[in-house]
Amino acid sequence: MKQDTAAKTAIIASCFYFGLALTMGLLTALKFIVPTVGEIEYLSMPRVRMLHTNINLFGWLLQANIGILFWILPRILHTKLFSEKLGVATGILYNLTVLGGFACILLGKVKNVEYGEIPPPFDYLIAVCWLLFAINVFGTVATRKVKYLYVTVWYTLGAVIWTTFVFITGNMFSQMPMVTGVNQANLIWFYVHNAVGLIFTPLGVAIAYYLIPKQLDTPIYSHKLSMVGFWVISFVYVWTGAHHMLHGPVSHWLQTVAIIFSFSLIIPVMAVITNFFGTFATAPKSIRMKGPVPKLLMMGTVYYIFTCLQGPFQAIRSVNEIVSKTDWVVGHAHMALFGAFSYYAMAGVYYIAPRLAGRRLYSEKLGDLQFWIMTLASIPFFAVLWISGVVQGYAWLNPENTFVATLAAIRHAHIMRFSTGGLIFAAYFLFLYNVLQTFFGKYPEEVEAAEAAAVSE
Amino acid sequence: MKLISNVEKSLLLTAAGAFALFAIGGVLTTVVPPMVDQSLWRSEFPVHEYTEQEKRGIEIYKREGCVYCHTQQIRHLASDQRRYGWRMVDAAVSESWEYVNDKEHFLGTKRTGPDLARVGGKYSSEWHWAHFKDPRNMGEKFPDRKGIYEKASIMPSFAYLSDEEIKDLTAYLQTLGRNKDWRVDKDGNPLNDYEK
Repeated sequence: MKQDTAAKTAIIASCFYFGLALTMGLLTALKFIVPTVGEIEYLSMPRVRMLHTNINLFGWLLQANIGILFWILPRILHTKLFSEKLGVATGILYNLTVLGGFACILLGKVKNVEYGEIPPPFDYLIAVCWLLFAINVFGTVATRKVKYLYVTVWYTLGAVIWTTFVFITGNMFSQMPMVTGVNQANLIWFYVHNAVGLIFTPLGVAIAYYLIPKQLDTPIYSHKLSMVGFWVISFVYVWTGAHHMLHGPVSHWLQTVAIIFSFSLIIPVMAVITNFFGTFATAPKSIRMKGPVPKLLMMGTVYYIFTCLQGPFQAIRSVNEIVSKTDWVVGHAHMALFGAFSYYAMAGVYYIAPRLAGRRLYSEKLGDLQFWIMTLASIPFFAVLWISGVVQGYAWLNPENTFVATLAAIRHAHIMRFSTGGLIFAAYFLFLYNVLQTFFGKYPEEVEAAEAAAVSE
Repeated sequence: MKLISNVEKSLLLTAAGAFALFAIGGVLTTVVPPMVDQSLWRSEFPVHEYTEQEKRGIEIYKREGCVYCHTQQIRHLASDQRRYGWRMVDAAVSESWEYVNDKEHFLGTKRTGPDLARVGGKYSSEWHWAHFKDPRNMGEKFPDRKGIYEKASIMPSFAYLSDEEIKDLTAYLQTLGRNKDWRVDKDGNPLNDYEK
């Protein structure tokens, strides 16, 4: 089988899911303004929201990361992918699985696990696909032609191992009959938090650790910082699930443990960020911001800092009292998964698509335009949600405010979210067009050459 | 330094190290809490056992994703207790033992709508019926739902549910928060006159 087929199929498929997920997001946002839009069972707001999160997580982000790593791993390890056939088979099974899962959500057959609504047997099949991916990762590392493992490989190995346990705990163990109530909530929060922290963080960071030095043609700033970042995150991230239940019915000591470790997260995050910015700072000025790839990597890193500083502060009990359960959390989650990790994934797609197609990116200008629209729209997108969260959080403190009045007070934020979300959605089509043209389209010079050939005939 | 350089050369050591560090926190935050704190899974106090109808209601609550807008926890915060109280009586704080019979927990993460942990018995089943049918127009019988509710409520209409389904769902809602008998006035007299 042709080399890199597995990477290519996963990357192209993921780009389509990205659009579908954004459509669902936009529809949810619209329903916050005009709740009577699309008033049928299959498009009721909660279902559209479940589709939005699941398509983003499993259709777009996880699949894009898998595809990008299928391409990166053989390059760092100076070998071929362990099994190209297995990779393609994984991709096909994975796509059938997630499509089945999304259909179930649409029909209301869901599991009561946030971010894990996809019901059996499809969640089990996702776990199977993950193990198939793991075989390919371990196989490729085992058959490597280099001695040392680079940081990207550590993070990928970590993600593969951690995710297996995190996914099974959240989707299978939490559903066992004797696991009920708050105990179940604790297992599910372990999953939901670590889905972001031990699946998408290490995969995103792994990709950035490869792309930043490659794209900038500069060695990584500090090997020691890489090690601090990786080994500290393996230890501290997993403890923090209970910070989603502060002031709630779960054990007080567990909340305190979660708060302490949430704060410890500043250590690995700052190590990673210093390393990324250090590499940017030592890169030649002429290529630092040339084209969409370094821009997406830079902005993704900026969002990564902010999201990872918000996290620890939100976990302080007094701050949590105001922002928890409000729109703030929605803004925070979007900055992590869209701002940081989708930016890294888009950078990966832009970097790899031309190399897979064997020619340059279709249009750097279009890529730049897409970057600027998405960035200038996403900053107010996140910010209005934080503002609205704080407004609502304080409004709730006063029992004189009826609940519905506190909701009416943040209507402006919901309108802003929809309109800036619409811009992000529009910019997505520039991304899709650029990627598809790179793979399948005709380039201006090819058109000219064809015309010249036609004239000379 | 020798150790570090050995780890970086070895697939096995890197993988084992990453797993071991992860496993410490993993075990201490998932397996240990229910062992240390038994109220997470069993109760010393009587806890409501759901009837068949209420169980059907739970399935509908899950299927329709109510949890994405409505939490079910009165947190240890005065603002929560006051807001979700009843007739000047503060709602009791939610405790872990109250949830032990919930095969599906609906603690929730986002309050786009109000918390439902103590909603049981606050509104009549007739009220819920009209509210599920059209949250923005509940008809002449509920004049206090005019005005701002018609404009600002963004709850979806669940008119597509069958009559049977709305009854099941309402039956479940009416159980919520009743494991603690908190609705008494200052003299200890029950405040149950609103139940129909």
